[in-house]
Amino acid sequence: MKHAVSFAGVGKTYRRPGLLGARYHTALTDVSFELPAGEVTGLLGLNGAGKTTIMKLITGLLFPDAGKIRVFGHSPSDEAAKARVGFLPELPYFPPQLKPADALAYYGRLSGLSGAALAAAVEDAMRKTGLEPHAGKRVSEFSKGMLQRLGLAQALLHSPDLLVLDEPVSGLDPLAIHDIRSLLAGLNSEGRAIFLSSHSISEVEKLCSRVLIMVRGTLARTVKRQEWEASPAGLEGIFVEAVR
Amino acid sequence: MRKYAALVWSVALNSFLEGARSRFFTMFAVFAFTAVYASVLAGVMAVDQEERLLGDFGLLLTELTTLAYLLFNASSSLLREAETKTIYLVFSRPVPRWAYLAGKLAGALLTGAMMLLLMGAIHLSLLYFRGFGLPPFYGWALAGIFLKLCVIVSFAFFVSLFSTSAVSTLVISAIMWTLGHFAAEARFLAEEAAGFKGLLLGLLINLVPNLQLFNARDAAGAAGALPASVLLPAAAWTLACYLAGLWLLSRKEF
Repeated sequence: MKHAVSFAGVGKTYRRPGLLGARYHTALTDVSFELPAGEVTGLLGLNGAGKTTIMKLITGLLFPDAGKIRVFGHSPSDEAAKARVGFLPELPYFPPQLKPADALAYYGRLSGLSGAALAAAVEDAMRKTGLEPHAGKRVSEFSKGMLQRLGLAQALLHSPDLLVLDEPVSGLDPLAIHDIRSLLAGLNSEGRAIFLSSHSISEVEKLCSRVLIMVRGTLARTVKRQEWEASPAGLEGIFVEAVR
Repeated sequence: MRKYAALVWSVALNSFLEGARSRFFTMFAVFAFTAVYASVLAGVMAVDQEERLLGDFGLLLTELTTLAYLLFNASSSLLREAETKTIYLVFSRPVPRWAYLAGKLAGALLTGAMMLLLMGAIHLSLLYFRGFGLPPFYGWALAGIFLKLCVIVSFAFFVSLFSTSAVSTLVISAIMWTLGHFAAEARFLAEEAAGFKGLLLGLLINLVPNLQLFNARDAAGAAGALPASVLLPAAAWTLACYLAGLWLLSRKEF
């Protein structure tokens, strides 16, 4: 099976410069895993477990201090890798005066799209994320759920093979969560790999075929759907046991 | 190459539109308009030197206001994009960091060029209402101001990449702008100082751009125009600051 992402012995330590010398915080220690292409993988962990660090390493926003990361066989900093990844950070920001299509057009151009292909990609992303009825509004008028949809739309513009989603349903109302879940399931059925982090075990349980559980910067467990479905306590029981 | 040119242009255009749409842009423009027209009072007091005073005073205000706005813009631009996480959406895409920085710089300079033209128009309208014509050095003066802005804005972008706040970037850049206008005096002092002091001062002077080179008013006294040779130091300083900034940005994590 081809891997969308592979981590081999990855470590990351943050350095915070201070007046009396730098302070160091180890975010990841010797993390190894693979994300199979075309699968939905979840990332669970308590706050500070290293979930966002992993996502930033995959998208080339952070550089590893140890180990090796490959994204579709390339270094995460390579343009060839980035061209195949769509990223939704937690609480994405868009300039409030813009209309959604304008914001998407900018990010589409940064993804190398232009002309008719750009217009089609913007239209397609807005349709898929249910933003079409709100096309005339400015971002300042958007609710949190609509902003999240816009964030997802920018990640979809260049038809990436891997979607990296940091807390995609955080703070959304039940209907928005339902819509985004349906959208992600649809994207996965098109063959895209999805890697999402969440604090919501039930959401991860519904969407993912595999879950990575992070505990204090280390990968504590990798759980497959069959395992948690066979477990009497479900994924929640496995998670609680792993993090305690 | 066309792909990268398109990327730089996209970032530049976005940065320009953001700058021009900013409420601070309007605020600075209104302030400049008021200040330029208020200079009529000083002109009246200058009696037979009114034309010269209005010309010089208007250019000074044009330079200072554009400089203030651009430094404000350049100091906060990268910091704001990092704080709002907008930069995540850029650098998770196949956008080389050199293209992003070049685009941001170009966007800021485009905003500066627009502000210069706008303020130039305000200033010329005042001169027209007072019955004076277009000063002969005017276009060169604006070009000189623009060259200074190129140097100091690229320096501000460089500083913003290691500075912890927009205010400190603003202050450091403003100090550099001030020092740049005393380069000839500093050079004289270095030549006069002996031994280690002179050597140290001589070294430090080379780190400060000589912004006096771009004062068209000084050049106009001799030749009536900025010599083409000033383009070289302007380009060299801008490029040096850009490359230093790029060195920092390529190592920066978000």
